[in-house]
Parts: sequence; structure tokens; C-alpha cells
Amino acid sequence: MLAPGAVNALQVITVVAIAPGVSGWISQFEARLQGRCGPRILQPYYDLGKLFRKESLAPEGASWVFLAAPGVAFVAYALVPLLIPVLTSYGLPLGYQGDILGGGFLLSLGAFVVAVAAADTGAPYAQIGASRAITFAAIGEPVVLFITFAVAIVTGTDLPYAEAAATRASAAQLIRPGHILAGIALFMVLLAETDRIPVATHSSTIELGMLGEAREFEHSGPYLAVLKWGGQVKQVVFFVLLLNLFVVPWGLATDGNLVSVVIAIVTLVAKCAGLGVVIAVIDCGFGKLRLFKITEFVSAAFLLSVLAVFTLLIGAG
Amino acid sequence: MSHTVPGFYDAATNAVAVLVLLIEFGMLRQALLRDQVRLYAAQSLVISVLALVVAASRAVPELYAVAGFSFVLKVVAVPWALRRLVRGTNGEIAGSGRFGLATQVLLALVAGGFGFFVSGAFGISSTVLPESAFGMSVAVFLVGFVMMVIRSDVISQSVGFFSLENGVSLAALVIAAGLPFILELVFLFDLLVAAVVFGVLIRVHHRSTASLSTRPLTRLRG
Repeated sequence: MLAPGAVNALQVITVVAIAPGVSGWISQFEARLQGRCGPRILQPYYDLGKLFRKESLAPEGASWVFLAAPGVAFVAYALVPLLIPVLTSYGLPLGYQGDILGGGFLLSLGAFVVAVAAADTGAPYAQIGASRAITFAAIGEPVVLFITFAVAIVTGTDLPYAEAAATRASAAQLIRPGHILAGIALFMVLLAETDRIPVATHSSTIELGMLGEAREFEHSGPYLAVLKWGGQVKQVVFFVLLLNLFVVPWGLATDGNLVSVVIAIVTLVAKCAGLGVVIAVIDCGFGKLRLFKITEFVSAAFLLSVLAVFTLLIGAG
Repeated sequence: MSHTVPGFYDAATNAVAVLVLLIEFGMLRQALLRDQVRLYAAQSLVISVLALVVAASRAVPELYAVAGFSFVLKVVAVPWALRRLVRGTNGEIAGSGRFGLATQVLLALVAGGFGFFVSGAFGISSTVLPESAFGMSVAVFLVGFVMMVIRSDVISQSVGFFSLENGVSLAALVIAAGLPFILELVFLFDLLVAAVVFGVLIRVHHRSTASLSTRPLTRLRG
């Protein structure tokens, strides 16, 4: 038996540990789909290792904000797994310290400090990236809000654990329109937040096609490593939110038994890999939207989330 | 505010009704006329399937015939005729609306939401479908209205009108699944008349203005 606190810590460790691997899996699968051999699944770990060994340079005139940002962002992203059902179906000691909005604040804090650091450099590309990332995150915010409302109507709370339990409760819940619509809206938010096609290109080096990726241009060495790792952690956090709250909240440990926790970790990796396949297929199957078309993409997500709330309110959800 | 989970049948039929509404929004967003017609066919197909499901699970045998007729007319015949009309013209892309796409969606959302909540005041009760599907059908035809108002090309406007009829079909399924069979058929043949009229109008309009857009009509002519 593991102590609840230990499981809670294990949630963070699991997410932080598998995050680069999930990115590696997506890029490898994507390469395979395009008929390329692709990088190893473990490549992101090697990249991080390489960056940690390199020296780091800061642009002239950059203040301590520039250096502190990667660490603060990483910590903010890594704290979210304390609040959401990553491995267990029951609330852990720190699980009720924050609700969905609390998790949202942490994620926004991460994005905020990275944007401030980008502005601190005075470099044009980093600033454009930060400005765009924040702009589109702000447009996407109402969607998240309405998804939270949908969760609140279904469960009477806005706790992630309650939503996961409601999804697990019955098959009827899974095909409720309100649930499906909110789930799809969250998936579209995930695509936007993790800089995937159709919102942004994830892996290219073309500055004009980037939103979030351009923010980290001026960072180097260990700072860049922490920043990249933080981005990967954020991606897995979104994966976990979508998978364990809306799509497949099964395979979670029901007690602190070591075996069931290990099973939960394995299931989580499998689920993330499955979602990664979907993301890779979308990456290959669609083109990037023009910058001015992104509002249309977000408006579609907004439409779905508002309809989710409407259907729930008139008793159709 | 806690919530009761509806039963499986209610949840499934509600999901189908929401699908009808989503396809309506899809039509509103769609820029290619061809795809708009395709979406209309898909929406009609969903309605036909819903009629089949209701017929089978709630033992209303007339609905089998209604489902069959609506499949033949709305999924095959009308979209085929519309596609022929589109092919006969050179217009591929719908005359984009008077507003940007995001604004259009927001407007339609307001109209749809109005339909959702107003329909609750009617106090409709139904034995074959959850009452909330009625709200959905009202939303479908309000969004159809918005589409006819905002879009400025004849094809989109006629597709909007036809999809309006889909909304009415959905409402009919909720309120009066046991409606006399002959009335249901009259609705469908009404649609056929409308299709012919719209077909003629589109032809005439295209011949006189050489475009599908209704913008030239606003010009004053002496």
C-alpha cells in the first residue's frame, strides 16, 4: 500500500516523466504516416539531456524575469497533476486544493510568465510568438469557461474528480449530447493550446507559422530545456484532462495498492499514446489555418461548448 | 444544482437531435455550395434514421413509410436536383455572408438559444421522444432563418429553406408522431413543390444576372 501523499506525488512524477516520451511518440508516428523513418520515441529525452549540458546565454539587457520564467512555468504546469485524476479515481489529499479553475489559473500563469520573458528579450520573433499565443489563448478562454459550466451542471461542482466519476457512472452519460459536445470542444481547445495543426505547426522552423513555439527563441541551454519540458508537461496535462474526465476515465487505481497504481500508470501511457495517434493523424490530414481563420476555428469550439450548456439546461443533455 | 442522467433511449435520441442542429450550423459555416448541399442530404438522412428508430422502438408503423419517403425525397432527389443546378452555374463558392464567419455563428447561436428556451414555455409533452428535442427543432429552424437572412446567394437561401423543413419534420416527430399519415405526406410533397419553385427561381435569377448572388437585386432599376 502506498500512502495517499506518495500517490499524489507519483501523479506529478508520472506526468513529468512521460511528457517527453508522448511528444516523441507523436512525432515518430507522424513521421511514419508521412513515409519517413522519423526520430526515436526517446529522442526528446536525448534532446533535453543535450540542452542541459550546454551553456546558456541571455540576450543583453534581459532581466532576472527572463531567467526565472522557465522554472516558474515548469513548476506551474507540473503542479496541475496534483489537482486532476491522473492515476486514481478517488480524491488525493491535495486533489481538492483547487478545482478546474484553479488548474486553469496555473496553466495561465505558466503562459503568462513565458510571455513576459519573451517580451523581456526585446527580440521580434519571440515577442510576436508571445503576443499571438496570448491573444489566441484569450479567445479560447470563453470555451474553457463554458466547458466548466457544462461540468458544473452535470456534477454540481467543478471538481475534476467529480466529472470523472460522473463519466464512469453510466453508459448513458457517455452519449449525452452535453457531454459529447463539451468533450469535442475541449479537444479543440487542446489542439489550440498545444500548438497543433490546424492552429499552429508544431515541428517546423518557419517563424511565421508558429504561435507558442516562437516564444522560446531567445532561451538556450538548461533554460531552454526546462521551457521545452514544461511545454511537454502542459501537453500531457491537457491529454489527461480530456482522457480521464471526458473520454476514458477507466483503468484508474481505486486504492493505494502498488499493483493497481502501476496498472494505472501503464494504462495512462497507453491512453496518451492512443490520443497521440489521433493528433498525429490530424497533423498529417489537415493544413494549418491562416492566422485570421483561427478565430473561426475557435468560434466552432465556442459553438459546441455553448450548445453543450444549452442542451444541459433544457434537460436534453 | 445537481442533474439527473436521462435514460439510454432519451440520451441517444437527444444526441441525434443535437446532430441535426450541428449540421444546420455546419451549413451556415460552409463556404462551398456543393458541400452545403451535401450537408443538407446528411441532415435529411439523420432525420430519416431518427424516424426509423422511433418507428421501431415506439411501435408507430406509419413512420416507416415516412422515413422511406423522406429518404427518397430529401436525401436523394432534392440534393440531386440542387447539385445539378449548382453544376449548371459557374458559382462554386457561396456569396459570403454580410458578416464574418465568427459573427454569423454568434448570431445564429443567439437565435438558436432563444429557440431552445422559448420552446420550453409551450409545455409540449411527447410519448415518443424527449421534449427537449422540440427545443432543438425550434433552434434548427431559427438557425435556418438566420442562414437565409445572412447568406446572399440563392443556393444557400434555398438550402436554408429546405433545412427549415427538416426542423419542422423533427418537431413533427416530437409532437405528433401519430399524426395522420396523409398529413405527413402532404408536408413532404410541399417540399417537392418548393424544390420545383426554387429550381425555377434559381434558373431565372442566374439567367438574368449571370450570378447566384442576390446582391445585384438591391440595385435600383428604372
